[in-house]
Amino acid sequence: MSNLWRNSVSGLLVVSLFGMLAPSLIAQTAEKGVLTGRVTDPSGGAVTSASVTATSINSGQRQTANAGPDGTYKLELPAGNYRLTFEAAGFNTLEISSATVSATATEVLDGKLEKGEQDNGKPTPTEQENLPNAPSSSTTTPSVSDLGLSPEQTRGNPQEQALLDKRTHMLKIHQRMGLVATIPLVATVILGPGAGGKSEGTAVRDLHVALGSLTGDLYGITAYYAIRAPRIPGTKKRGPIKFHEAMAWIHGPGMILTPILGAMAFSQKNNGEKVHGIASAHGPVAIVTAGAFGAALLSVSVKF
Amino acid sequence: MNKRILIALSLAALTAFAEADTQWILQQSTLTYHVSHPLHQSEGVSHGAKGKGVCHAGQCEFLIAVPVKSFDSGDSNRDLHMIQVTRGAEFPLVTVRTRLPESHATALTINADLEIQFAGQTAQYKQVPFKLDKQGNEIHITGTIPATLTDFKIDPPSLLTMPVKNEIPVRVDLTWDQR
Repeated sequence: MSNLWRNSVSGLLVVSLFGMLAPSLIAQTAEKGVLTGRVTDPSGGAVTSASVTATSINSGQRQTANAGPDGTYKLELPAGNYRLTFEAAGFNTLEISSATVSATATEVLDGKLEKGEQDNGKPTPTEQENLPNAPSSSTTTPSVSDLGLSPEQTRGNPQEQALLDKRTHMLKIHQRMGLVATIPLVATVILGPGAGGKSEGTAVRDLHVALGSLTGDLYGITAYYAIRAPRIPGTKKRGPIKFHEAMAWIHGPGMILTPILGAMAFSQKNNGEKVHGIASAHGPVAIVTAGAFGAALLSVSVKF
Repeated sequence: MNKRILIALSLAALTAFAEADTQWILQQSTLTYHVSHPLHQSEGVSHGAKGKGVCHAGQCEFLIAVPVKSFDSGDSNRDLHMIQVTRGAEFPLVTVRTRLPESHATALTINADLEIQFAGQTAQYKQVPFKLDKQGNEIHITGTIPATLTDFKIDPPSLLTMPVKNEIPVRVDLTWDQR
């Protein structure tokens, strides 16, 4: 009984330790990057009164920086895509519809503001350039509208882009956590034979339990990010992802069943009994579960 | 007098003929991008390009547009990721513009300056070589555009924390029809 209590406490400690580490592991995926540049007037002079606002296309969160005496600004932002607005009194507002901030390199984006005119509702030159149906500059230049593409094919959809951004962000965490979960999973499987069978020692069994608990927690987080990642309407699944998802129907229930059977086997073993009954399925179920997990991982990693 | 009128009319007709606009319409297209990752190579193919060329006074201007979503790599997950990193929902088209002398239609090879709009960015490629094969009113053009991810400020997508290579060459196979 005291053994069971000690094992439970050590298992809880491992789980708690992981609970403390998990948020920081996840937080690392939202690293910050730097967006900087210089705001100038048409002559190239610094616009010291300018403010630069970055709005996250994904979350809608905004951050503003003011230009310094030399017209430079600096924004520290979580990596992602932003819509930028350059504003200054006496100048037209300049909007840049998309700028990518990465955690690995400093993004430099200068803003050249046009003087005088007030907003007349027309798109800025940058916006004009980005319009897929921008009219031709001359009568002999073909334009996109001449090509017979449907409006759905030519019209941008920021909402869908935001959905895709969120999906990718969540699947990146899913992927990383899946890789991290593989380490204790493999260790747990390796320690399996030493934890059961004829062995009377408890050290290996305790470690097996602790690693198994850690694997279960990591697996839970991995699964959460896959299940909660938004689906993109109108997408028909093709290719290895179908196999990857099919494997989840094996390792998902397996990851629930394995610790239940493991707890029964653990209890029997601690009572000095030979593992018997349904508990004896713990090992085979764990092997099938680990195999399905590995196959799922390989199916999206290596081209067969 | 009648002769002069006839000559004048003939000259006018010749001039008009010389300056008449001709058009090229893209009949068939296969665009294939190639991505290299340490674990595997992958390609995405699109047959969804639309294109038009307008020739006037000896110069032709061509425009090709292809929906980003029309590229198929055989893996829906990879395609969705490609659309996300290239901001394909927000900027749904890749457009390619080029200007060529009309006389190039009979050449076997041409070098074209291309302006490509993709992922909300514009990149220019100078003197990209293409092979031409003219048969009747049709021209078959093949070549490879040496595109890179940094040209369009695209963060390299990664798999198992390993990013893909920066180079994403795009093979072009186009059949144009003269109208």
